[in-house]
Amino acid sequence: MSEHPLADEAFEPYEPRRPVPLPVYWMAIALALWGAVTLWNDSTAQSSGVGQRLAEAGDMTRRHSAAGADLFAQRCATCHQADGAGVAGAVPPLQGSRFLGANPQLVVQILLHGINGPIAVGGDRFDGHMPAFGSVLDDGQIARLVTHLRATWGNGGEVDAAFVKAQRQATRERHASWNGGADLVSLDPAVGPQPAFLSAPPAPSDSVAMALARGGKAGGWACAACHGAAGEGRSGVPRLAGLPADYIAQALLAFSTGTRASDIMGPIARQLDGPERVGLGRLYATMASASRARPELDGDLARGATLALQGDDRRDVPSCFSCHGPSGFGVAPIVPAIAAQQPAYTAGRLAALGRHGKDDAGAAVMPSVAARLSDADRRAVADYLATLPPSPAIDTDTKDAR
Amino acid sequence: MTDPGHTATETESPRDQRKGRGLPRSIYALGGGLLLFALVMLVRDDILLRSGPSTPAPQDNGAIAFTPPPMSSIPNGPAGASIRHGMAIFENTATEARAFVGNGLACRSCHLDAGRKADSAPMWAAWVSYPQYRAKNKKMNSMEDRLNGCFSYSMNGQDSPSGGPPPKGDPIYTDLEAYFHWLASNAPTGAKLKGAGFPKLKLSSLGYDRDRGRAVYAQHCASCHGDDGQGRRDLNGRQVFPPLWGANSYNWGAGMAQINNAAGFIKANMPLGAGNSLTDQQAWDAAAWIDSQERPKDPRQKGSVQDNAAAFHEGEKTFYGKTIDNHLLGTGTSPKPRL
Amino acid sequence: MNRALPLVILAMTILAFATMLLVVVPRAQIGSEPPAAGLRAYSPEELRGRAQYMSLGCVYCHSQQPRTPDQAPDGERGWGRPSVAADYAYDSPHLMGTMRTGPDLLNVGARLPSTAWHLTHLYRPRAIAPWSIMPSYPFLFEIKDHAAPGDTVVWLPREQRVAGKVVVARPEAMALVAYLLSLDRTYPAPASAIRDDGYSRVGGKP
Repeated sequence: MSEHPLADEAFEPYEPRRPVPLPVYWMAIALALWGAVTLWNDSTAQSSGVGQRLAEAGDMTRRHSAAGADLFAQRCATCHQADGAGVAGAVPPLQGSRFLGANPQLVVQILLHGINGPIAVGGDRFDGHMPAFGSVLDDGQIARLVTHLRATWGNGGEVDAAFVKAQRQATRERHASWNGGADLVSLDPAVGPQPAFLSAPPAPSDSVAMALARGGKAGGWACAACHGAAGEGRSGVPRLAGLPADYIAQALLAFSTGTRASDIMGPIARQLDGPERVGLGRLYATMASASRARPELDGDLARGATLALQGDDRRDVPSCFSCHGPSGFGVAPIVPAIAAQQPAYTAGRLAALGRHGKDDAGAAVMPSVAARLSDADRRAVADYLATLPPSPAIDTDTKDAR
Repeated sequence: MTDPGHTATETESPRDQRKGRGLPRSIYALGGGLLLFALVMLVRDDILLRSGPSTPAPQDNGAIAFTPPPMSSIPNGPAGASIRHGMAIFENTATEARAFVGNGLACRSCHLDAGRKADSAPMWAAWVSYPQYRAKNKKMNSMEDRLNGCFSYSMNGQDSPSGGPPPKGDPIYTDLEAYFHWLASNAPTGAKLKGAGFPKLKLSSLGYDRDRGRAVYAQHCASCHGDDGQGRRDLNGRQVFPPLWGANSYNWGAGMAQINNAAGFIKANMPLGAGNSLTDQQAWDAAAWIDSQERPKDPRQKGSVQDNAAAFHEGEKTFYGKTIDNHLLGTGTSPKPRL
Repeated sequence: MNRALPLVILAMTILAFATMLLVVVPRAQIGSEPPAAGLRAYSPEELRGRAQYMSLGCVYCHSQQPRTPDQAPDGERGWGRPSVAADYAYDSPHLMGTMRTGPDLLNVGARLPSTAWHLTHLYRPRAIAPWSIMPSYPFLFEIKDHAAPGDTVVWLPREQRVAGKVVVARPEAMALVAYLLSLDRTYPAPASAIRDDGYSRVGGKP
């Protein structure tokens, strides 16, 4: 019988108990505390985030039912000016305008469909290109706006949403704008003598471009399949209707050479030759269509309006409208219209310009401006622009010559 | 069988040793944990605080930075109405002061951002530096005198419906001054404000050259102001980009017709949204190209261009009175037919 | 093995804790989320396409869950706003995916609304982007001598066509494209939806 310890068959190996070192406890307790604090912070941030969003949604509803004066400041003052003085030689004044006279029907109809043709106001003649608000303002908003206009510059008299609804119903077949003062005289002779409407230069009946837009080239993809039958765009696909013809032609050229990179537009643009690019540009420039853009990026509309109307001097961002024209209708030949543009496209384009810099000849200044906008700013301004009425159709023949 | 020494040290003693020590030990553990947590939080906050916004750098040569009040703080009531009307005149000059504007410009064409932007002759800085002696007319100038000069030269009042600037005491002056006064709210009077006037650029040994300027202009300016310098209008015919020369621009008596002023403005502000992106040399050359084009005549001219150049343009950096391409600059343009 | 019981209890506790946090609590939070206003149910054609999407394994490379701007610039890429639970109300099972080898598809119907484009792209992705690594799906198409009435002919760049033949989409391809075009969550997210705000809201408005 050996006394060797290994011979002990009954011995069960075990780990001796050693106390856990204190520093391990310290770390564990500190981490647990940190976790608890973080969870608590997050949950308050979460609930405050939800509360803030609900408040913003409420704000939006309130803004939607904003008083006529607010609507005027946001949608009309860029052209007609805050005091209704208009712009000499360009935008008719509202002060003392006969169009705000007795019959509210006239004002409602002008707001619903816009004007495209010469008009005489207060003894001066104007070219007359006013956008149609029918697709961006609802009946209630138009009623409040007209009430405000009549109270400020007309002869009073309230207009209600039912009246606007009836007016909208009465002219629902109408898709074009009113042909200047000559057309409006027939609605209400009280506006006084109006210049004759020289038959609108026929929307270029470029059947080649039309066929391209509707059917694509050689059975290829049609423009209309993504950009819509009336060039109104959708979500990330830009609105084309009312963009300057030269801008569209230049963009197609940039897509085909690859200076403006796009997997979708690249193969399409490479199929087109010079005259086809120009033809498509003219086709979309003269297209008037209702706005299909709606704010969809959760942008702060008030901030967007500030950026568009005044810019942000702290970040050295000039206002959008200082180059894209009052109300964002663009300036032919190369500054594109931005009003009623699809917000996802606007925000994405701003981000791309800010990130990649100059990608086509036209946008010389935009990269440095876009680079100074934050993500929230881009969404804000894109959403704000989506609330504006679309640019009236550009009559390329006369406007490009200016 | 079992080893008595082995069991004695390993199986029995730990339990025995820990007996009665659980409480102090857990207190040590908890206390140490809390201490560590507090320490880490302090260190973190300290780092966060230090990386926060740094204090603004001290101002150079004693100039004071100033920010005008936001538009939303214009008061209501009659004073506010006057300020608002002043701002409307500033932005929409050809409409609000229709009788006195003889070209396609507005005050804000050169005083960007409605006269708020530093380095584009902001009105808050102008307000606190008047009345002032000016060599241009060799007298003490009140703000109204200065504005009268703006309407005469920059706004080319000679071709306006009334044929000149607003008469003395016109409410246009009052409202513009009300707007400037409000813009300069809380600005120190007589002190040097940062961003006043246009920046002064040093001229290098290359000087300025209109042919080099033509290339700069074609590359950086023409897309907005047009190859012909006539700016651009929107579809309603409203001037969006201002005309830089010709009958619809400022006349030969304007400060902007001097190359040094135009160069400073261009350097700091052009292309719009990308200020300070051109080199000093490019700014000088572009200014030389723009200011060597014909524009409305100097309204002070009595006799010949040469006489007037000697009387009013001596020592200026200007092309006035020089002959370029067989054309004597300063002859003037015929006024545009009125809209 | 000694002390088996404490070990089992500990393992079960950890499992229960994880189940609680990953299954029970989320279910309580979003299990009964109503469909978002603006979201519509899939049509039978789109459901057939959805089945194709699953059987072809699209989900292995394409996610359907755009992230917040704090995590990734998905919004700038045109993939849409961060998704919320209500966006998936009609998706059972959801096809959120985990791999982001290809672009996110939750809003592809809004981004690329052209049927013809999708057909070309499915037939031969490299006809559109030469660098694309997406597999082609020729078995969803037929090569015919002549298109029969009612056939949808797939457009190809000139140099990639086969002389005298046309490529025609099979019903499977049409169904898949119908499903892709139905992917459009560009309506605003419900204001009360639970969503990840990233870090931007901690300490106030971004």
